[in-house]
Amino acid sequence: MESTGNNHNQGMHANHNLTGFIIFLCSESVIFLAFFSGYALLKLNALDWLPHGVEGLEWQTPLINTFVLVSSSGTIYLAERQMARHNVWGFRGWWLATMALGGYFLWGQAVEWSGLKFGFTSGTFGGTFYLLTGFHGLHVLTGVLLMALMLGKSFIPNNYKGGEQGIQATSLFWHFVDVIWIILFVLIYVWQRS
Amino acid sequence: MNSSSTRINYYALALVSAWTGVLVVFSFWMSRQAYHWLPVQASTAAPLVDGLFSFETALATFVFFGVISVMAWVVIFNRAEKYDMSDAEPIEGNTRLEIIWTVIPALIVFGIAFYSVRVNQKLAVLGPMEHIHRGDPIEEVGGFLGDRLPAEQVEVTARQWSWQFNYPAAKVSSTELHLPVDKPVTFRLVSEDVIHGFYVPAFRLKQDIIPGRAINLNLTPTREGRYRLRDSMYSGTWFSTNQADVVVESEAEYNSWLQQAASQPLQPGLSDAVAEYKQRQAEGARGWPTVVPAPAPMVNVPGSNQLPHNG
Amino acid sequence: MTLASYDPRVLKSNAPVPGAPDNWKRFFSFNTDAKVIGIQYITVAIFFLLIGGLLAMIMRGELITPENDLVDRTVYNGLYTMHGTIMLFMFIFPVLNGLNNLLIPTMIGAPDMAFPRLNAVAFWLVPIFGVILISSFLLPGGPANSGWWSYPPVSTQNPLGNLVSGEGMWLTAVALSGVSSIMGAVNFVTTIIRMRAPGMTFFRMPIFIWTAWAAQSLQLIGLPALTGGAIMLLFDLVVGTSFFQPEGGGDPVLYQHFFWFYSHPAVYVIILPVFGIFSELFSAHSRKPLFGYAFVALASFAIVFLGLIVWVHHFFPSGVPEWMRNLFMVTTMLISVPTGVKVFAWLATIWGGKLRLNTPMLFSLGGLFNFVFAGVTGIMLATVPIDIHVNNTYFVVGHFHYVIYGAAVMGIYAAIYHWFPKFTGRMYYEGLGKLHFFLTFIGTNLNFFPMHPLGLMGMPRRVSSYDPEFTFWNVVASLGSFLLGVSIIPFLINMISSWVRGPQAPQNPWNAIGLEWLLPSPPPAENFEENVPTVISGPYGYGTGKPLVENQSAYENQSLLEA
Repeated sequence: MESTGNNHNQGMHANHNLTGFIIFLCSESVIFLAFFSGYALLKLNALDWLPHGVEGLEWQTPLINTFVLVSSSGTIYLAERQMARHNVWGFRGWWLATMALGGYFLWGQAVEWSGLKFGFTSGTFGGTFYLLTGFHGLHVLTGVLLMALMLGKSFIPNNYKGGEQGIQATSLFWHFVDVIWIILFVLIYVWQRS
Repeated sequence: MNSSSTRINYYALALVSAWTGVLVVFSFWMSRQAYHWLPVQASTAAPLVDGLFSFETALATFVFFGVISVMAWVVIFNRAEKYDMSDAEPIEGNTRLEIIWTVIPALIVFGIAFYSVRVNQKLAVLGPMEHIHRGDPIEEVGGFLGDRLPAEQVEVTARQWSWQFNYPAAKVSSTELHLPVDKPVTFRLVSEDVIHGFYVPAFRLKQDIIPGRAINLNLTPTREGRYRLRDSMYSGTWFSTNQADVVVESEAEYNSWLQQAASQPLQPGLSDAVAEYKQRQAEGARGWPTVVPAPAPMVNVPGSNQLPHNG
Repeated sequence: MTLASYDPRVLKSNAPVPGAPDNWKRFFSFNTDAKVIGIQYITVAIFFLLIGGLLAMIMRGELITPENDLVDRTVYNGLYTMHGTIMLFMFIFPVLNGLNNLLIPTMIGAPDMAFPRLNAVAFWLVPIFGVILISSFLLPGGPANSGWWSYPPVSTQNPLGNLVSGEGMWLTAVALSGVSSIMGAVNFVTTIIRMRAPGMTFFRMPIFIWTAWAAQSLQLIGLPALTGGAIMLLFDLVVGTSFFQPEGGGDPVLYQHFFWFYSHPAVYVIILPVFGIFSELFSAHSRKPLFGYAFVALASFAIVFLGLIVWVHHFFPSGVPEWMRNLFMVTTMLISVPTGVKVFAWLATIWGGKLRLNTPMLFSLGGLFNFVFAGVTGIMLATVPIDIHVNNTYFVVGHFHYVIYGAAVMGIYAAIYHWFPKFTGRMYYEGLGKLHFFLTFIGTNLNFFPMHPLGLMGMPRRVSSYDPEFTFWNVVASLGSFLLGVSIIPFLINMISSWVRGPQAPQNPWNAIGLEWLLPSPPPAENFEENVPTVISGPYGYGTGKPLVENQSAYENQSLLEA
């Protein structure tokens, strides 16, 4: 019964996976909005924002990370273009490049974290910093894993004959993660002094 | 009521008008009754709040009983006969009517909002209340504008689970709040642990006490008597016992109370939570673990919270 | 009754029907049929309603006397916290998702939900977080005991200091409930947007679909804010961060914003589908078209929009700035306008109709009665000076329960009776249904009306003991709550015995209009299967004689369709 139900749905309404995913992303963006507004409120109302011994955040390395993540949005777009032209190997190449850039971003984030003089419990400054970057990092990781899944799927014969919704959804998710990072970068690294 | 649309059904019109009249009279009567549902009025704020409540009670009565009358009419007179399986007349809507019942409630609502903003301004409940966290963490709320300046200062400390009142000018502390009648007073509200609520029903004023901030609340008592101060924000196990008495008295009585109090040595003040906790531990606690009550504050006058109160 | 008396379409698919020997088994399996999931949701929800109600009756037992004499104060605080949490997260939301599962696909002519497997996962999370929440009663520190708002710092006090605390389990359960609700919301909205039958334009959708769509949109927008707040609170509790702790520079009021940004709209998530139910039932049982369909439909989204910008009215006394108090007072009052549009439309619908006072109609009328009462006290609460006096008193508790129990739960009962024949294939017993209605209606008013005078007199909510002047109304309320407890008995007897051995239901016992009534009772697994009808007119054509779909008689007479 279960299998007949699914076949039936896929036959009749082939393309609502993407609709569902877009709805989910809209909802997911609200959680970031909540964190961002919480961060702004706490920072604006703080008496001593920075913990003792912390001067501020170093911004050069995160800026390089930002460039890496923004350019990965470009490579994933190119990968999608290749797929649209049915060039599966071209798709795999750009897709892998995107994964590599995502991986580099995560590595850069880890390097930055390990060099910091404050922890998660160092007041609201430390709390919000690790909450925002950590929650975003979790999304980057999810994105990389999703890409790995899609890459694996691309080796299943005829898997992409009927449409590339999984790839479209992953790509959309990646752009979403990218946009969130830009807002986050502005809030945390650019807006240093209140 | 299903009169033909071409000529006015005078019988129905008279009936509706008469019933509307009955409802208006009834609503007016209810608005008078509304005052009796509230505690005695013991502050300058109380008559304003009560007036607004009375006004809204009249409106609420009219709307509620108006709607219920229609429902009752329909239920009594519009029932299908047994075995009548036919449909009713298919009226699908009336745009003019729909616009009317969108616009009129909107106007009523704006009327209420206008009235209550004016009451707010009179009360100055909406006084300068910006979050002044940096530098001067003091927030100002409540009372007439006239209640603000040279006012009696009382520091209120809320904790789990007792109230402490300090009179810095007279160097007196107490667990019973004494206030002179018809004199403006400014409370400086602080909490030592969690959020508490400063709530004296007879004054109709309430202010949450947020830990980490000091909040100023202004009011003027207008009626002598003994009232209840209740914690209005859930604060843990003995939240329900976190009450204190407010004694409003003439200025002479108040001054003599302050003088007598100043000569008293410091002693443990009232804390029902401490007493109950001791008893609970002695009996072998039946419930789950709890935050231990803070020791009863050391004050000049413990006062009492067992005497009959006026509201 | 023999299986032969069922519609051949029901028997053709391999979904077991009532009376078949393995019928019950599918309700205990990972079934992806929305109709099975719907019944699973409703059954589990009613189980938790019984638990939540029992906790409430213990609380009312404590409050029948002024002193704290029945349970320890810590126990009372745990009881009221769990009562609220269970009723909202494990009764109301699941029961509404159950109705959504039953009604959305059948009303729009879809074979199932858009994502059947996601749907089943969302359901099976409910018993999982239910067990997590209930098992926190067994912890040495007891369950969460800081109210269903869980305001810090009192919620993060954790006297035992254990890593696994009642509060931590509470937060985990609420977060899982959020995940389940988001899964459900994505699924419902996608289904409504993409899977409607041919010809069913937006303005031919039944109002229930409009309101379900509106409510689920609110879930999608609001719930992530609560989840964000819950994650931060969990970190405060377990890791020792200080997002909401004043000593570390945090702000306890920030949590209140997060919490109410979702939890006020949550009330509309609850009441909007009930508005949909009222709209369906008033027109079906008074044999008249819904008055002003387009206004009623659009008012749902007006409520969504306004519902998102009123949350601060929950904490007017907690130190919010002046402009916020004014702004949120006006938005809160404005929400009564689209709500009023709906109430007047229902009155105009039943006006001059041919009412049939069966159980679903009685529950709808009773629910509307209570809702209007809750509405007028709601306007009072929106007014800042009055709210300052009654905020955090029993007045709010009374208002809230009139909305949730008086209106929403009565509407849900109405829906359960109305669609029971459709989805079980059996008729319920009218006499027991009416008994259930009268006990519920009297019990609700006896229980919740006295809370209004108590609040006006200044009795704070959440107290386990109170001053003697509050005794009279508390005794009345307690008696009312026991009556409400009794009222559930005829309901349970009716549902169980009707399902087991009730008379077989016809295809359309109410002679109602709607795609679901063109399906056999109970509908086959794939609903319309290959014969999805084409909708040719609006959903409430009572008395107009207009058919709803092309070739309607074929659907009304299943043998034609077979041929």
